[in-house]
Amino acid sequence: MIHQYVSNGYNIVLDVNSGCVHVVDEITYRVIPLVEEALAQNTEGIGNLAAYAAGRLSESSEEPVEALALQEVIGEILELKEAGMLYTEDIYEQYIDEFKNRGTVVKALCLHIAHDCNLACQYCFAQEGEYHGRKALMSFEVGRKALDFLVASSGSRVNLEVDFFGGEPLLNWQVVKDLVAYGRSLEEPHHKKFRFTLTTNGVLLNDEILEFANKEMANIVLSIDGRKKIHDLMRPHRGGQGSYDEVVPKYKKVAESRNQMNYYVRGTFTRNNLDFAEDVRHLADEGFEQISVEPVVAADTEAYALREEDIPAILAEYDKLALEYIRRKKEGKGFNFFHFMIDLEGGPCVAKRLSGCGSGTEYLAVTPWGDFYPCHQFVGQEEFLMGNVDEGIIRTDIRDTFKRCNVYAKEKCRDCFAKFYCSGGCAANAYHFSGSIDGAYDLGCELQKKRVECAIMIKAALADEEKEKTL
Amino acid sequence: MKHIKTLTTRDVKESMKKGGCGECQTSCQSACKTSCTVGNQSCEKAR
Repeated sequence: MIHQYVSNGYNIVLDVNSGCVHVVDEITYRVIPLVEEALAQNTEGIGNLAAYAAGRLSESSEEPVEALALQEVIGEILELKEAGMLYTEDIYEQYIDEFKNRGTVVKALCLHIAHDCNLACQYCFAQEGEYHGRKALMSFEVGRKALDFLVASSGSRVNLEVDFFGGEPLLNWQVVKDLVAYGRSLEEPHHKKFRFTLTTNGVLLNDEILEFANKEMANIVLSIDGRKKIHDLMRPHRGGQGSYDEVVPKYKKVAESRNQMNYYVRGTFTRNNLDFAEDVRHLADEGFEQISVEPVVAADTEAYALREEDIPAILAEYDKLALEYIRRKKEGKGFNFFHFMIDLEGGPCVAKRLSGCGSGTEYLAVTPWGDFYPCHQFVGQEEFLMGNVDEGIIRTDIRDTFKRCNVYAKEKCRDCFAKFYCSGGCAANAYHFSGSIDGAYDLGCELQKKRVECAIMIKAALADEEKEKTL
Repeated sequence: MKHIKTLTTRDVKESMKKGGCGECQTSCQSACKTSCTVGNQSCEKAR
């Protein structure tokens, strides 16, 4: 399976099943799908393939291709095929089935340390922190049991992840600190390594919190939507006043004190700012180097929800952002945009790529009172209540349903080139938009595919730059 | 090659042999909490 597209003047051919990325000239770009067609019809030998391609090319109104050049191109194509770098077959389905059938371990928890919030963000899937339920703060006792459960359920996994999430976790900061200390006390005796992360709206951030976070948190996610007017519109206090001015100076301090690493300023774009590249640019101009601005996920009934008709504008905005991203990198003023980051050389193994996000199996969300849900986005939906910190996983049927969820269980993912980069997408989004975790969130898929295309094109453009430097 | 430039990529097929250790980051523990992005994550063994 191949996926080919033109972006920023680059003819890109992705050999989906091997992950190889080829940047080709125009003739090759036209010929590659024709050779695939011919091979599917059992055409063999460079001469026969060239004859087939020449015949198909003559049907097109585009410029004819010289016979010698055609043979040369097909020679290169066959060389890549022989090397397992083009037209590679999908041989992973059984492997992924076996992988998913391994014993279940839990390696990551999203601790809902506070079901309460000091902001009233309009798009909050947590309903201003309360997740369709009641206000509550997690006690140390519940958190301790959650960490004990994690250690006991993690099998031979060494690296364990715990995200302090909310609501707003800084509303329950003492418990966060106590749980970090407790987690550290478990590391040596159990041969584990905790990676703690914090997601915050920044309102309560202060020097004491920052000092602790810089010592203990592997990553901090700082919520900000971009330009002041955009941020304040969607992220107001409960009284309506914006939060931009109070959080930006604090975020700058976080970024600098962490040497511009291991943090993200993280925003959400909505129908109110389809020109979200401007928000990313704004954050970069403010000096942030780790940026994530993501599409809102909201019911169609919300005025700010993204609509199908918005897709062309959003895709064009990603293109615009990609060009800006390259330009700034080349000027030495680059930043990282989370959704354009792609690790082609050291990226994840195929098991990681195709087995799904791990929700409901290796990743669980824990409510303030200790209930388990498959992930933070299912919290409050009682049909997904899986167990609790006292009794462990009770609804093993829910766990098993999530365990079976992988790209091969999803009809729409099977033939999608992006499946190796999104792992079948978000189960919660699939459920909320299609009624099944094995379904798809179509709008999200369109945006994801575009981001993958941009990310690969950026790699091609930056590789070009490297090459120019060495010449 | 004259017509084709190939970017350096990890051999995905090859990763079947030694992959699947599970030590890598869970996708939602990064910046995302509303999508699933694995392509940008690093292999723990390659760190």
